[in-house]
Amino acid sequence: MNEKIELKKIEKKAWTSYFQDGLIDIFIGCIVIMFALAPILSESLGDFWSSFVFLPFWALVYLLVLLAKKYVVTPRIGIVKFGVVRKKKMIRFNLIIFIVLVVGFILGLVSFIDFNVPGWIHLARFGLIVLITSSVAAYFLDYPRLLLYGILFDLSLIIGEWLWVNKGVPHHGYPITFGITSAIIIIIGLIVFVRLLQNNPLPKKEE
Amino acid sequence: MTNKKNKAVSDIQHLSSIDKIIHEPARLSIMTRLYVVESADFLFMMRQTGLTFGNLSAHMSKLEEAGYIEIIKEFIGKKPHTMLKLTDKGRRAFDDYRKKMKQFFNEI
Repeated sequence: MNEKIELKKIEKKAWTSYFQDGLIDIFIGCIVIMFALAPILSESLGDFWSSFVFLPFWALVYLLVLLAKKYVVTPRIGIVKFGVVRKKKMIRFNLIIFIVLVVGFILGLVSFIDFNVPGWIHLARFGLIVLITSSVAAYFLDYPRLLLYGILFDLSLIIGEWLWVNKGVPHHGYPITFGITSAIIIIIGLIVFVRLLQNNPLPKKEE
Repeated sequence: MTNKKNKAVSDIQHLSSIDKIIHEPARLSIMTRLYVVESADFLFMMRQTGLTFGNLSAHMSKLEEAGYIEIIKEFIGKKPHTMLKLTDKGRRAFDDYRKKMKQFFNEI
């Protein structure tokens, strides 16, 4: 029994050292940053055109993350293909995330049709979906920080609304709350990334 | 007295049946790490085990000679790349080693 636990630990260590390089954190931070900018952009560009700013931005960040993984991280930590257990876990993870997103989409569609639904219910649903998604991801990807990010995201929603209602902060207070949250996430990602670079220098030629 | 002697003999027999190739700490570390993944490259193994290039190479050769690991040469783009994989024989040998060690420690 003891040995089983040790093997799990070793597999988990291999997984975390390969997967948790800080780049995902930076990518998530860049997604959150758009929630800070969305109300401002929507005001100046309108809802429709502002969405055209987000998508290329996320695509660009995603491309940069992929390139950093390929040309900066992989030459330092190497390549690994994970075993059946991890692959099964990833299939379960993808399935659950798919179900959560489909349910979220249906709920969003219903509230889009039914205009009588109060605004706070939309927010609560959205917050709940983010929290469920981040919890599932944190568990299946062995990535506890994702749960923290989910909580920070929901806190940004709640505090932002509170600032707007009680203090009259414009744009639902999102530029402040989501701005702080994205900064925290990106800083964590950068710290992890820089530590990975320091701890894993490029191997010498013979290696 | 005879019982004690019999037990000591049985322990020694048990120990001598333990796979010496796997039992060496560096090779055990390599085998354990390859056991939990499908395959890994040389650099990843170096990072995980903390072994130097030369050391890892030497142990890899011994494990390959024993038929426990497979060294797969492939190309990523234009660069040659070496992937390491536990063979079925290696996987069975590792399972057997774990069983024997567990049994040995249970008997102590």
